[in-house]
Amino acid sequence: MKIRINKAACVGNARCWAVSEALFPLDDDGYIEVEEVDVPPGMEALARRGARACPERVIEIIEDDNIEGDG
Amino acid sequence: MTEAVNISDAVPQPSHVPDAVVYDFDMFHDPAYLADPHERVLDLVRNAPPIFWTPRNGGQWMLLSHAANFEAARDTESFSSEVIPHAQVEAILAQLPPGTPHIPRAYPINLDPPLHALYRVPLQRVFSPTTINTLAGNIRALAGELIDAVVDQGQCEFMKAVAEPLPVQVFLKMLGLPLEKLPEYRQLVEAHLSAAGNDAGAAIQRLQQVAAAMRDTVLERREHPQDDIISMLWQVEIDGRPTTLEDLENYGVLLFIAGLDTVMQGMGHGVRHLARNPDLQDELRASPDLISDATEELLRRYTFTVPPRRVNRDMVFQGVAMKKDERAIHFLPAADLDPKEYPDPGFFDLRRQGKAHIAFNAGPHRCLGSHLARVELNILYEELLKRMPRFRLDPERPPTFKGGHVIGVQQLHLLWDK
Repeated sequence: MKIRINKAACVGNARCWAVSEALFPLDDDGYIEVEEVDVPPGMEALARRGARACPERVIEIIEDDNIEGDG
Repeated sequence: MTEAVNISDAVPQPSHVPDAVVYDFDMFHDPAYLADPHERVLDLVRNAPPIFWTPRNGGQWMLLSHAANFEAARDTESFSSEVIPHAQVEAILAQLPPGTPHIPRAYPINLDPPLHALYRVPLQRVFSPTTINTLAGNIRALAGELIDAVVDQGQCEFMKAVAEPLPVQVFLKMLGLPLEKLPEYRQLVEAHLSAAGNDAGAAIQRLQQVAAAMRDTVLERREHPQDDIISMLWQVEIDGRPTTLEDLENYGVLLFIAGLDTVMQGMGHGVRHLARNPDLQDELRASPDLISDATEELLRRYTFTVPPRRVNRDMVFQGVAMKKDERAIHFLPAADLDPKEYPDPGFFDLRRQGKAHIAFNAGPHRCLGSHLARVELNILYEELLKRMPRFRLDPERPPTFKGGHVIGVQQLHLLWDK
């Protein structure tokens, strides 16, 4: 699973970071620091929750082909 | 005296506005809105067009749906935050006689990109979630003191006792303003909160008073920096130039206005909901881990900020024809009660899954203080539920509200058994 973030559209809500600081690191201004993250095994649910938490809706979850996603 | 006595006069309907998108609603004085604001918002969501023009308040567009608010917030070229265009403000100020006292302007909230970012970036680090989290201990101690001061009384007017002093004191500490100034600031807050109407002269005067009340500290920190926001703002650059006293005063009034009339209202709406729902209090007391979810759902259910925009060009927006320089209102309380995004929107659902709310608006003007507001709200709910037994509304003295750009709770009388 991958997380893809439209970094330029981040406005610093930091709700993803509130779900997982490891998956969604912030810069010093509190905006997202990364554009793409490989989700370590076992952290898929956190990744989905973090994506859902974004009021700006700029976080996308890319499921692996062989894994059934829950949307 | 009739109920409708305060409703503003209706202005004539412009020719480009068809009847189908007209709905009569006065966001300052609508009686049902003032009686129980978010019930009226739910009624509007059910019965008014998702984008409507109201003849009240000088005639203006109200953006209700989540889709309208979300798109408008991110399209700053069509929806300007410069209620008076920046160039026009500069031209007016340039014509004032020399020696006219500085008129503070709340930058960057009323600037558009790209100028907006120049003034916002220096503030972002100070208001980042990691910086704000370092304040949590102080905020918790203060919240505890304020609650303990009333807990033996069995009753309190919550706004005066806790909701107003908590953020004011946090604000003074963050900025580095002396706590002895607290009464003076409380008075300025009071004047700001009770000011009605669009008297620009009085508003300018109030802003100048705010700036004056901070000036000694501001000048002192230029020479002797400490660990506070005013000192930090002397050390940053705006577009490659050092900050000036005028910049500091502009920032000061922004933080003052944005910080003091907002989080206290969030506390009022949230605590009213808790007071009306003792089972929810019990549930959160038993599982304090759920309080941060409750904070988010309370923000969604009782979104309370209503920021204005200026339509910046003639256009058709989501099927509705708008003309340049008309006023459009982000009616965020309705956006967060939009059933298309939040099924059964009037239901407070602690376990709500799905879309995040936009109580702090979307787009580049996302509330700079959102992280501070969240920490203050969370800590307040935690300490209140920990320190106070089951509390309820005083049936003899029901809460009172105010409308406008922040849906306010004026009085919230609580009772509990000692």
